[in-house]
Amino acid sequence: MQINVEFLALAQMAVSGGLMGMAYALVAYGFQLTHAAGKAVNFGQGELVMLGAFTGLSLSGCGLPYWAAVSGAMVVGAALGWFVERTAVRLALQQQNEGWVLLTIIVGLFGVSAAENIWGREDKPFPVPWPESSLDFFGISVTWQELVVAAGALGIMTLIELAKRYTMVGIAVQAVSADQDAAEVCGIRSRSAISLSWAVSGMAAAFAGTIIGPVTTVGPTMAAALTLKAFSVAVVAGLDSGFGLLLVGLALGATENISGFLLGSGWREAPGLIMLIVGLALRPQGLFGKKIIRKV
Amino acid sequence: MFAGVSLGLRENTVERILRTAIFIGLAALPALWQGQYAIGLLTLMAVYGVLLIGLDTTVGYLGQINLAQAALFALGAYGTALAIGAGASLPLALAAGIAAALLPGAALALPALRLEGPQFALSTLSFATLTIIVLNECESVTNGALGLSITRPSLFSIPLNATSFYWLCLALLFGVWEASKMLFKSRFGLAIEALRDSPTATDALGIGTLRHKVLAFAWGSALAGLAGGLHTMNFEYLQPAAFGYDLMVMLLLGVVFGGRRSQWGAFLGAAVIAMLPNLLSNRTLFSFLVSFGCILTVVRPIRALLSHRVPVFREAAPAIAMALAVTLVFFVPNVEEWRKGIFALFLFAVVVGLPNGIAGALTATLHRWIRFTPLPLKPAAGGINSSRKSEGIALRLFGLCKSFGGMRAVENVTLEIGQGETLGLIGPNGSGKTTLVNLISGLYTPDGGTIEIAGKRPASGSLMSAFSAGAARTFQNLQPFFGLTALESILVCQQEGGESEAMGWLLAVGLEGKARVRCSELSYGDLRFLEIARALATRPRILMLDEPAAGMSKPDIVRLIDLISSIKRAGIPILLIEHHQDVVAELCDRVAVMDGGRLIALGTPNQVRRDPKVIEAYLGADNIARENMEVLPC
Repeated sequence: MQINVEFLALAQMAVSGGLMGMAYALVAYGFQLTHAAGKAVNFGQGELVMLGAFTGLSLSGCGLPYWAAVSGAMVVGAALGWFVERTAVRLALQQQNEGWVLLTIIVGLFGVSAAENIWGREDKPFPVPWPESSLDFFGISVTWQELVVAAGALGIMTLIELAKRYTMVGIAVQAVSADQDAAEVCGIRSRSAISLSWAVSGMAAAFAGTIIGPVTTVGPTMAAALTLKAFSVAVVAGLDSGFGLLLVGLALGATENISGFLLGSGWREAPGLIMLIVGLALRPQGLFGKKIIRKV
Repeated sequence: MFAGVSLGLRENTVERILRTAIFIGLAALPALWQGQYAIGLLTLMAVYGVLLIGLDTTVGYLGQINLAQAALFALGAYGTALAIGAGASLPLALAAGIAAALLPGAALALPALRLEGPQFALSTLSFATLTIIVLNECESVTNGALGLSITRPSLFSIPLNATSFYWLCLALLFGVWEASKMLFKSRFGLAIEALRDSPTATDALGIGTLRHKVLAFAWGSALAGLAGGLHTMNFEYLQPAAFGYDLMVMLLLGVVFGGRRSQWGAFLGAAVIAMLPNLLSNRTLFSFLVSFGCILTVVRPIRALLSHRVPVFREAAPAIAMALAVTLVFFVPNVEEWRKGIFALFLFAVVVGLPNGIAGALTATLHRWIRFTPLPLKPAAGGINSSRKSEGIALRLFGLCKSFGGMRAVENVTLEIGQGETLGLIGPNGSGKTTLVNLISGLYTPDGGTIEIAGKRPASGSLMSAFSAGAARTFQNLQPFFGLTALESILVCQQEGGESEAMGWLLAVGLEGKARVRCSELSYGDLRFLEIARALATRPRILMLDEPAAGMSKPDIVRLIDLISSIKRAGIPILLIEHHQDVVAELCDRVAVMDGGRLIALGTPNQVRRDPKVIEAYLGADNIARENMEVLPC
């Protein structure tokens, strides 16, 4: 009986961690989008999540219904994503140096400072239209909030993937990912395609903010650790892996919760980090990534 | 523009004079700028100097974003603190700090340095996060978040006050600076420079990519440990929170701000990140700095507007950022709250406006004003005729296979190259010639079959192992070391011999007049010849030339034929992939023909030319009946 209770507690941890891990996967998906198009990622992606959450909060504070507030946050997120690409990434990639890493960090730093001054340093609750109660599946309780996070992440990723595969614009972006020069020869403006990827990535980040916000509360530092976790998910899954990052996101969320439970909350992130370093050493292209063939 | 004055001085001498003057000035500074606070700040600058010189080895020289330096700094600090706690003397405590950073650093470097770009950045970031967790949680050793207090030990029973400790830090910075400079000027430094441009070429030419990367990272980690030890003794108090993400971003910015790949840059960056946050607490000075920065940045867009063109992003963005900062400083009531944002704008302007940092901008200015005297070149020695004679079978392939997915790129190839023989390898595009060379040189792992180079069997899929057996190659798509000069490109490939021998190889390929020209400025044809010289300088037992004449002009091709003939006369066996029929016909003893991954013919140029299978491969089956075969490549 004792064993059974402990097992149930662990399963509970794994399930709620895994459902939150879907949020990591969603932010990681944003990394994947920009990496595919322009071989760069936003080290300030967590700050976009935070800014998206604050925008959503302000809009619903103005009396807009939840869904309108979320849509508004997504529009702002897209604009911010485009802004980061334009100011921090484009020039550095043209000069072929690593300056973009620093510039995205710097733009994120400015974002945090702006948020502190516009919305204040305190954490704020994010009101939601669904009940606080939870559902019970075979003794494991799942809150509505966790279900919304998982369903929302999965839903938006599916929508973007469908758009990438079945619209002309999406196919053009894929062509740019495969070979920028060849795409340009075919009349595709690769700059616009890259900008678009960054805007969509920013939109996904802002959406992530509005679904994580109700769980973590909204504050300028809410996303400080998120960039690293999401980036871990993206790289361990492979930066070109598509839905592989859902599995890795689930696994990371579950591992964190369980290790926090077994080792103490300070050690929460340690096993995930060790797995990350070992995983990268064994499979640099990621668990689900394609092997790179060197051509000379 | 004016041409600059020639002072008859070497750049090295000028640099050394300037540096010595600055260090004497810094050592004398405590006499003018007194107080505990000032000394503490100056010591912090010296400590950051050591730390940033270390960080620059990865961020600058290796060209990889390293986010672990703050954590290695922390490990060094804790190592020293614990050693002092156990009663160690000052040198021993510093050694403990170095070891505490060096060992985990090396353990991280081995897996992490196989990675590139974002993956490398991420693994160092994970290491950093993990280190802070361990320092926080292992309370029995580190006292957790509460922190550790220590007392600075005396040096050989001389007690150190703040000023003398500052002098010690300054002396160590000077030593580290000199050592780093020598290290990166040596062959080791050339190798680091080379592998940043082409890790494939550095492995194929036996320079050893991973080995050099790990050593460079280890050097950076050791400096982080040393800096950490000094930091502990400076503040006499440690807390894990001080070594987190904020410090790491600050260090990275320090290196970029100062200028990468330069000890001067690391030093200037250290001065900025040590002084700036403290100076910024003075409101008047802060406003003055931001206004001054704004004036500096608007010069370029205004100059662009005066010459009637719209300023580009690189010119306009810093000015916009600084204008925004000025607006915040003068028109926002709660400036204190915005300090982080203003700092970000400031950094943005610097990173975009000065991509080579302060040191880069200063060096460029200095070079515009003063023409330095270059070091004289040594006379050439050695050359092709000094090559070692090879004996026995140079290359033996048996049943070699390689496929990519469903595509059989090389299928069951069996081939031999004898003593001093030149074998031509021809075939239509996509027939598997380059893949075969990639297999022999160890870039690809064969799916089946064996490779024997000069009687040795290299480990499969290892460029270094194939090189050790005696293979050297050139690349169809050039793999030059753009950051090196022609002379340095040879020096870095030589296993033995010095500058005279390197000049000998340049003379052999006719590039002796361009010894000091950077590869990024050499013409395409020159780079092809330089690649051959590079391969020859490794003294190969088999030389593989992958389409050396591709893209060359007619006169260059004549030069190339002369060169290959002389290599042949020196007795070096050659595997030559080539499309130009005159080259193959003139140079090759035998010719092998590939098509669709298979070897379809092997014989003297004349035999192969008449082979119906070869004609079919090149011209299609309809043309077999044609008697005139002059279009054939040999």
